[in-house]
Formats: sequence, structure tokens, C-alpha cells
Amino acid sequence: MNDLLTLYKRMVMVRLVENKLQEYCFRGEAGDLHFSKGQEAISVGVCAALKPTDYIVTHHRTIAHEIAKGAALHPLIAEILGKATGFNKGLAGEMHINNPAIRHLFSFQLVGTCVPVAVGLAYALRYYKKTDDVVAVFFGDACTSNGQFHEAMNIAKIRKVPLLLVCENNGLAGNIRKEYYLPTETVSERMDAYGIRAHAIDGNDVKKVMIATEIAVGGMRQWSAPYLLEMNTTRLCHHKQGQADVRSKEEIAKLAERDPLLVAERRMSVTEETKEKIWRDIEKEIDEVFAKVKEDPWPTWDSN
Amino acid sequence: MSKDPWFRNRLIRDAIYHAIYDRMKVDPSIHLMGEGSHMKIYFDAPHILKEFPHRIITLPISEDANTNFAVGMALGGAKPIVDVITADFLYRTMDSICNTVPKEHFTSSPKTIIIRSEFMTASPTTGQRPEALFTHIPGLNVVVPSNPLDARGLMDTALETKAATLFFEDRMIEDKTTNPEDMDTHLDIIPLGKGKIRRKGHKLTTVSYALTLRMLDLLLERENLEYELIDLRSIYPVDYDLIVESVNRTGALLIVEPDVTYAGVGAEIASQISERCFKALRHPVKRLGAPRTTIPASRSLHDYMLPSEKRILEVAEELSK
Repeated sequence: MNDLLTLYKRMVMVRLVENKLQEYCFRGEAGDLHFSKGQEAISVGVCAALKPTDYIVTHHRTIAHEIAKGAALHPLIAEILGKATGFNKGLAGEMHINNPAIRHLFSFQLVGTCVPVAVGLAYALRYYKKTDDVVAVFFGDACTSNGQFHEAMNIAKIRKVPLLLVCENNGLAGNIRKEYYLPTETVSERMDAYGIRAHAIDGNDVKKVMIATEIAVGGMRQWSAPYLLEMNTTRLCHHKQGQADVRSKEEIAKLAERDPLLVAERRMSVTEETKEKIWRDIEKEIDEVFAKVKEDPWPTWDSN
Repeated sequence: MSKDPWFRNRLIRDAIYHAIYDRMKVDPSIHLMGEGSHMKIYFDAPHILKEFPHRIITLPISEDANTNFAVGMALGGAKPIVDVITADFLYRTMDSICNTVPKEHFTSSPKTIIIRSEFMTASPTTGQRPEALFTHIPGLNVVVPSNPLDARGLMDTALETKAATLFFEDRMIEDKTTNPEDMDTHLDIIPLGKGKIRRKGHKLTTVSYALTLRMLDLLLERENLEYELIDLRSIYPVDYDLIVESVNRTGALLIVEPDVTYAGVGAEIASQISERCFKALRHPVKRLGAPRTTIPASRSLHDYMLPSEKRILEVAEELSK
């Protein structure tokens, strides 16, 4: 069931896992991790509209996508913290995680790489494996200034691949503002050059994200063509931990009014009490997992 | 010697397609892709185009995305052979070859991906030999066959190996000695990282690959010189056991390479053999190859890019003492 409450809980899960990981970063027990605070509605909404057999390919901000697609929490946290019990035995870390169990086959640190890889995967699924599964690839608006993105769009359209292009548009390239890398008002208008249909929506409204994805993916399964959803969103955290932010505290506070959790809460009729219980329960579940991961072994060169 | 490389080594190219065709018949996952693939295969292996048209994917002139596309195909269960045409174009796709391919393999599991490319005749950006760069990157195998039978055997192996292989085709090699019919009756199983002794000898071990291997083979034959000649076949992994055994017998090593010697394939071999065979060596290990110079367009200047036969013979004579 993908009712709003379920989606809300999933977003809270992402938020709380990242909050907990942030404490690890501050204590120096984790590297400079990349979080999705404020962007959770996109991964949760998109993945809710996909079938379990559909694939996702992502950029380096992977934690939200992993949880949204249904990753088991223990090996996920273990991978992020570099433990041998992680999905990739601690070899991949948060930025290169891959998890075939939930069909999240590829994520990559370098901006742009995920897009042509997703095109190749979508091609193989449709024209070699002959399935009706689709691929959703997540990338930021900054990625659309990279040559890899444009080369990939070219091939995606020519080869008619079933690829949902999910642009998480937060108006930032790391710590650089939009005016330095995006010459157009929107990402969507760039797609005209490739004849790829695009649609911009509020990426902080999880319900809207899910419905837009359902519609896009439904058509794609039938006709196999790429489609871009431009999700306008707000990154409420720093680009990565340990790095300053180009935005002022006031600016971020203003953006926080659009926090996807608040948007969902406004739509739902839950009492403060119920809400608090949801957060408490999820926090308890997470704390237990973190405690277990702490006892897990580190990888050694021999174990790999 | 034919100056036009198109006619020089048809046999090596035929041998590569021989291996690909044989494997395609039994393995439906093999797909050929790259710039102008349909046209290229139409000319080089029309039977493959006719029999497997849906497994040939012509891609745009976008080298980097093409290799990443191949990684995606491999994730989807296919075995991609991506053709980057001329070796110079590999610089356009260094990111996907050095970042995407090996790092994806490292963090999940190795998959069969073959990246093909050829060495052509020369001009500033047509004729560079970037093969040594790739030997530095963990997770990549680098193969440069010197003759058709090796080309066929190595392509067969690469297609059966769960790993990324850079497969180079040296179009500057002239080959008139291999009988095309041998390819129908004879398939060498060649593991990656196995060199071959082409000529038995004593007093001096010579090591080479591809174009200069062929040059040396003809030169030693013509001059009737009994130096040992080792064909590396794959420049990563390198068959050090074979070289060490030979150098321990002959006491001297000359490496002749078709590429720039500075920080090249020979530099690593010279260093390893100096460490491993120090006591057996009568002379310091010597390297001969191309100068660290951009390749000029005029053919009249190309002789300077490879060591002359005279120079090779002088150095070999000195080392064999």
C-alpha cells in the first residue's frame, strides 16, 4: 500500500537515518557523506510508483534512493560506514553502492556517468531481455550541464529506451548557484533539442511525484521512450558534510517552509501525538540497527 | 611492404571477427556496438551483420557515452564489445574506461566488457599508442596480438573472461605468412597473461609485442641471429615467469616497443627484471622504442618514430657479449 502515511513514514526513515549518520560525520566516524535532506519526496514518490522489477540508477546521493526502493537497513548502514557486512562488503561506500536485490544496479560519484549507463541498461532490458521493465535514473539539474548527459539523451531518443529521467532540481551544483551552469530557466526546455518530452512538477509533494511517475512509467512500458520529470526541490543540507554552504541560514530557513515532510503533514490529518509516535518508533528501529552495525567486523584484504 | 595499412593486416582483423562470430553463434548475449558499427561490420564481416543484425548497435560519435552505454548493457546481462575505432579516440573515453568500468567491477562483480581499438598509420592524432596508460589502471586487462592466430585465440579468451579487456589491433603489422585456412582448423586457447617464445636463443632475450615484435621476428630470421624472442601478447597481465626464466638463461634483456619508451610498457618490465634477475644480468636492461615526440603527418618523418634495424642490431650485439 502506498497511501500517504506509508510514504510519509518512508521519508521520515530517510531523514532520521541521515540525521544519525550526520552525528557519525561530526564525530569523525564516517566520511563526508552526501545527504538528501529536503529532497526525500522525489526518491520515495518515484520508487513507490515503480514495480519491484523496475530498476533504478542513481548519482552519489544514494541513501534516500536505497531506502525508497526498499533496501534492508542493516547492510545499507554497514556499507555506508565501511563494514564487511555491507551490501558491497564495504568496498563501495555511500557513493558507489549497488544492490541487485532491489534492482539498484549502479550509482556513481562522478556527475553525469549514471545517465549513459542507465541508457545502456534500459536498452538491454527492452531489446535484449525483451522485458517491459523500466529504468529510473536520478540526477541533479547540475548534471544537465555535463557532456555525458547530452550524449546520453541523444542515444536514449534514437534508441527509444524505456528510461524515466528524474531530475532533482535543487538549483545547486555542489556549492555553486544555478546562474553559473544553467543558461535556461528550466531543465525541461533543454529537452526540446532531443525531442524528449518533459514535465516540471513540485518535487517536494510526494503524492504529486508518485502520480506523475505512475503516468510517465505507464506510457513508457507500452511505447518505450525516454521521458523527463523535472522535480523542483530544496536541498536543506550542505552539499556534503564538513563543507560550508554558499547559502545563508535565512535562505535555507525560507526553503525549509517547503520541507517535503511538512508538505505531507499538511495533507494528512494526523495528530501531533500520532506524528511523535511515528518518529519515535522509526528512531528506535534505526538506533537498534546502528547498534548492531557497530559490532560488525571491518573488511580485510583477505575477506575480499 | 604495402604502405596502406588497410591492406596490411586484413588477416588479424579477419581473425578477430572469426572469434567473435564463433562465440556469437553460441552466446546470444554478445553485442557489437560503436561508432559506425553497421558500416564497419558490413565491410569487415558481412556474415555477422546478416545473421545477427539486432546484436549490432551503431552509436553516435560520442565515445565516452558509448563506453558507459556498454557498461549499462553489461549490467543488463549482455556482453558488450564496444569499438572505439582508432586508438587516439580512447582519450575521449578515458573517464568511462578508467573510472566507470573498473570501479563498477570492483564494487559489484566483474563482467565481460571488451573495448576494441586499432593502431593506424600516423599523424599527430592518428597513430598514438596509448596502451601503456591502461596497464596502470587496476581492473583492466590489455591485449595486443602480433599475429592472426593469437588475435583469434585472445579474443576467444576475452569473450569467455569475466573482466574488462582492452583489445588492440595493430594495423601496421604486415602479415603474409599466416595461411587463412589455419584459422578454420586451428584454435589456440591463450590465457590472458601468457607470453610466447617466438624464437629460441641464447646470449640475449629480446621482448616485444605487436608491430615491433613482427619487425624483430623478421630481422632475426633474415640476419640468422640466435637471440631468444618473447611475444608478450598481453601487456597486462605480463608473463613475468616466462621472461625471468629466459633472462636467467641468457643473462641479458633487450626490450623493443612500438610505443614511446618513457614510462612505457618496457620501463615496467625493465624495472621488474632488474629486481628479479639482477645476479643473472651481465648488462643493464636496455629499451628501444619511440621518442617522446608527437607523430608528424609526413610519412617521410615516420621512420624516426621507430628504432632502426641498424640500431637494434648494434644494441643486441653489444648486450649479447
